[in-house]
Amino acid sequence: MESSNKPNTINDHSLGPIEGSSRGLIVWAGLVIAIPSLLIFIFSISPYTITIAGWELKKFQWGTGLESTSIENEEGLTEQDTTSFQPFAVTDTATTLTIDSLNPQPASAGGFKVSTTLTPFFNPIFNDTTKHRVLLIGDSEAGGLRYPLNDYCLANGHKLVACVEWYSATVFNFAKADTIARIIQQYKPTYVFVVMGLNELFAKDLKARSSAARLLAKKLQGIPYTWIGPANWEEDFGINDVFARAADEGTYFYTKQLVLPRADDGRHPNNKGYRIWMDSLAGWINTSAKWRIPLKTPTKRARPLKSDIIMMNAAKFRGY
Amino acid sequence: MNFSWFTDTFSAEHLRVAVLDALRYSTKEPWFFTEFTFLATFGIFLLGYALLFKQEWLRKVYIILFSLFFYYKSSGPFLLLFGLMIVSDYLFAIQIEKAQGRKRKLYVWLAIGYSLSFLLYFKYVDFFIANCNNLLHTDFSAKSLFLPIGISFYTFQSISYILDVYRKDIPATKDFVDYTFYMTFFPHLVAGPIVRAKDFLPQIFQPQAINTTLFKDSIFRIIIGLVKKLFIADYLAKYADLVHLAPSAYSGGENLLAMYAYTFQIYFDFSGYSDIAIGIALMLGYKLKENFDNPYTASNITIFWRKWHISLSSWLRDYIYIPLGGNRKGEVNMYVFLFITMLVGGFWHGADWRFVFWGFAHGAALAFHKAWSTLLETKEGAKAEHSVNSPWYAFPAKIGNTLLTFHFVAVCWIFFRARSFQSAYDSIRTMLFKSQWVDFQGFWFSRPEIVIMLCVAASIVFFPVVIKQQLFGWIKKIPAWLWIFIMLFALQIITQFRDDVVQPFIYFQF
Repeated sequence: MESSNKPNTINDHSLGPIEGSSRGLIVWAGLVIAIPSLLIFIFSISPYTITIAGWELKKFQWGTGLESTSIENEEGLTEQDTTSFQPFAVTDTATTLTIDSLNPQPASAGGFKVSTTLTPFFNPIFNDTTKHRVLLIGDSEAGGLRYPLNDYCLANGHKLVACVEWYSATVFNFAKADTIARIIQQYKPTYVFVVMGLNELFAKDLKARSSAARLLAKKLQGIPYTWIGPANWEEDFGINDVFARAADEGTYFYTKQLVLPRADDGRHPNNKGYRIWMDSLAGWINTSAKWRIPLKTPTKRARPLKSDIIMMNAAKFRGY
Repeated sequence: MNFSWFTDTFSAEHLRVAVLDALRYSTKEPWFFTEFTFLATFGIFLLGYALLFKQEWLRKVYIILFSLFFYYKSSGPFLLLFGLMIVSDYLFAIQIEKAQGRKRKLYVWLAIGYSLSFLLYFKYVDFFIANCNNLLHTDFSAKSLFLPIGISFYTFQSISYILDVYRKDIPATKDFVDYTFYMTFFPHLVAGPIVRAKDFLPQIFQPQAINTTLFKDSIFRIIIGLVKKLFIADYLAKYADLVHLAPSAYSGGENLLAMYAYTFQIYFDFSGYSDIAIGIALMLGYKLKENFDNPYTASNITIFWRKWHISLSSWLRDYIYIPLGGNRKGEVNMYVFLFITMLVGGFWHGADWRFVFWGFAHGAALAFHKAWSTLLETKEGAKAEHSVNSPWYAFPAKIGNTLLTFHFVAVCWIFFRARSFQSAYDSIRTMLFKSQWVDFQGFWFSRPEIVIMLCVAASIVFFPVVIKQQLFGWIKKIPAWLWIFIMLFALQIITQFRDDVVQPFIYFQF
């Protein structure tokens, strides 16, 4: 269709001057372009979903680098603001309501004594001595961290109740889906480790990821957590800072400061790398984190892992 | 039914904020044709156009105002710079037309120098500083200037206008509104096609009638462009970007597929942009020249350059290669001119030695092909040509030549895309020495979508043109009233499959 001398191209018109144009046709041309665009927009902000032959129609992602609104500014973004323009916030409304009614319940499982109140957790320099139900969620890095974390949990009386490993996932996956809410409801953790970002080192749509990260932090519903930054294999475009700003003060661990031995793919740490990573993280939690829990260095390593492992793969490749 | 989500979104406060935001510019988030807000705004703009199109002056001013707004949204204060260039070139052209002899030449050099000075300053100053520091061990600090969007395109456009007036190919435009219209016409403003004044200026006074055929053609081009860009190019970009960040971390097979991915990405990206630009212009009654003509089906590099970015390659031919002497000053000079032209073409794309090398490689290939063609024209060559024309040889040879040309172009794109020479070298080395069949099997299992998309892209590129034309002809028989549903369907399909993040058009950065 690109050749200028072929049939059916713009050269074929036997056109007269523009005054001979049909006004109605120009109006129709405007409507043909404007109405579908507006319909796509309205559908994207609506709380409804449409499924055709088993296929759910995806909503246009406003505010993810393609669009910008003054409401979506880097600082001072509120959830109420985002719901107006960002479909993922709208679709999460129902989930959020569920989460709001889901205050972490005192739980007792497997003979572990767990915290019965959340009050102390809001102390910024709190030193917790209780035994925790630990949940690890994240991208593929969670798959490597689970073993050394398990060693630490066993050595300190905690229980690693579950690991959610969402391969190829980005912060959007976690923020959009109700996965975290369900996992929290099911396992009732009292401490959460979040690790992600390896698939987003070179993301440039930082504003959108910032709002998603804030939403994710809210989805943890006040449960004490540590947000572990990605194990950078290259300098990122700012995702570490975005996550650090979204997380509560003193809860973000900059992994990128560590030099970690890597696996064959050059990106993920190898087994030794994950151990070094966990050791550094534990040291930081013991001394500097907002939510400190006992994490003394284990004397035994590579102990059996009995936690539930929940593996998922991002439905589509959503890499960099 | 609860419609609070609707009333909240369209509340007076939100609308006020949205309108204020729409009036704000952002150099970091240019207003692309692919943005749904652009499409919606353009649709509304057309409603106004329907009221004004019969009055020539109003029509021109209406389009100019929208074009200036379009440019302002991406470049903000740099609109003034653009305005300055328009005013100065308009005045220079009138002076050139009036002047005689040396004075005339002086004005031409002044005008070209003036136009080029903006481009040289904004685009190349850091490049010169870096090289100066390297060579002379100086310590000048880089300026890190913002590159005004489209400056490479409108500078070339302005130079072509000045030279055309100087050569008396066209008269200088006396009406400032007409010249502003030509320079600012938004479909070609930020990423081409580079429009020649002699092709475009006559249309300003007499655009084409917008009839049903033109309506369908223009809508179809816009839809095709959106699909090419948002569906195919952006999907392939994710994989190409991933591998090119650290080629040595991937296997040879993955690097090879990344090379194909980028080769198709840049074609679908830029030709998609050109399709949208041509479609939008056509919808207003103006015709822009084609910028691509199935370039990857070219059977040699010379033909490739007649089919790829036609507006740039013809500009380089007409304003650099031919004025230098073309093929009129002997064989050796011809090769030298060819190299110079391609080096300029490479450098135009970016202030980096990688682009210069890319231009050099294409210049070398063009020179080699020219020499080879000359050899075939000799007596001995004629014999070889006879055998080449045999039907048993011609078809496989054409396929072989096409594949060879395609792969040469694809390898050159590695230098275009890579982050550095080292990165390009790593990619090629890995491809050559670390490729195993098992890589492809693994790739198929881990990234089947990319493989499928590569196959789709290759099928579209290499599909016979005649059949494509036939297919498009059938599609265009669909009645005009149905196109609104086709547009809606296309936009939803794009939304369904595309990534959340739209990549900027590759050629915006040039």
